[in-house]
Amino acid sequence: MGHMASTELPSLAPEQLAQEQSVLQLADFDEVVRLYRPRIFRFLMSSLGDRDVAESLTQDCFLKAYNARHQFRGESSLSTWLTRIALNLVRDHLRSRRIRFWQKTRDTALDLVDISDWIPDGGISPEATCLQQERVKELWRAVDQLSRQQRTVFLLRFVEEMELAEIAETTGMNTSTVKSHLYRALRVVRERVGKE
Amino acid sequence: MTMDTSLKSSFQTVHDPSLEPTGEVAVSIELFRSAMHAIAERETSRPLAADWLTPARDRRRRAQGRMILAWTCAAALCFAVVPHFNHPPAAPQSKVTNPQPETAHSNLSDTALLEQVDNEIAEPVPSSLAPLTELDSWNSTTSATESSLTQTEKKNVTQ
Repeated sequence: MGHMASTELPSLAPEQLAQEQSVLQLADFDEVVRLYRPRIFRFLMSSLGDRDVAESLTQDCFLKAYNARHQFRGESSLSTWLTRIALNLVRDHLRSRRIRFWQKTRDTALDLVDISDWIPDGGISPEATCLQQERVKELWRAVDQLSRQQRTVFLLRFVEEMELAEIAETTGMNTSTVKSHLYRALRVVRERVGKE
Repeated sequence: MTMDTSLKSSFQTVHDPSLEPTGEVAVSIELFRSAMHAIAERETSRPLAADWLTPARDRRRRAQGRMILAWTCAAALCFAVVPHFNHPPAAPQSKVTNPQPETAHSNLSDTALLEQVDNEIAEPVPSSLAPLTELDSWNSTTSATESSLTQTEKKNVTQ
């Protein structure tokens, strides 16, 4: 990666890099990748449920960002910009997967058991752990049932913890549309996951 | 529950209560979020290879190649198909160009045919039909006298 970042500026500290919303953020692209790769990968994996595809699209996302780094004007945060690129890649991927329906693309799909196994251990009893795993599985199934836009809004809100305005900026929707999708997604999840 | 309070604090900017998960749903969402973060951290914790973006570049190049090929095929197809729509088929053209010799040929044949008919008509009448010829000549003379008679009658009437 070092060969990619042809920079005239010294490397920025990660804290500065995360906070600053300017074109200068892209000066040290290695740092950008290091900081934002987990987030982009997480969003892609939760959107598609496929580890290998998520990894490939993460690469595509950073390659696109690197090629278009001169177009980034700093009007939105770097995180929003990268997430928007990732979102477009998800849309393209789903479209092409619909076209290539004969290809088995979910071979490496993240199993429900895999996700529930990754719940942080809070020193709880095995019974409680089982219960938590069951909850995560239920939620994962519910999220899988959502429409693409509902799922995107839901994941950006509750997994990426983005603000509604930021989600609107990333997805290109109105804030009211984002709210509407979020409301519907939550209603489906409530119906599926259980009683409040 | 500590998890519930942390979730509420992280979602506190959403003021609409209908957009805030509560109770068991909130706990499930928090667990799901933690699991996703843990998996992503594990998957991206490995150091990146120098050629990490090489597969992405290759995919991009292949996609561009496919795109160029598709456009080339489309253009070739257009060039092959469009002339058929712009111009009428070649067969009617040959029909239009050929008629002139045909007309000449038909003119010649008509003339020959007329000559043949004239020759046949000009043949001498057989002896068995000779009285009919006389009759015919008589008819012609009578018709001539009849016509002169009618003319004199007309003159008389006018007078």
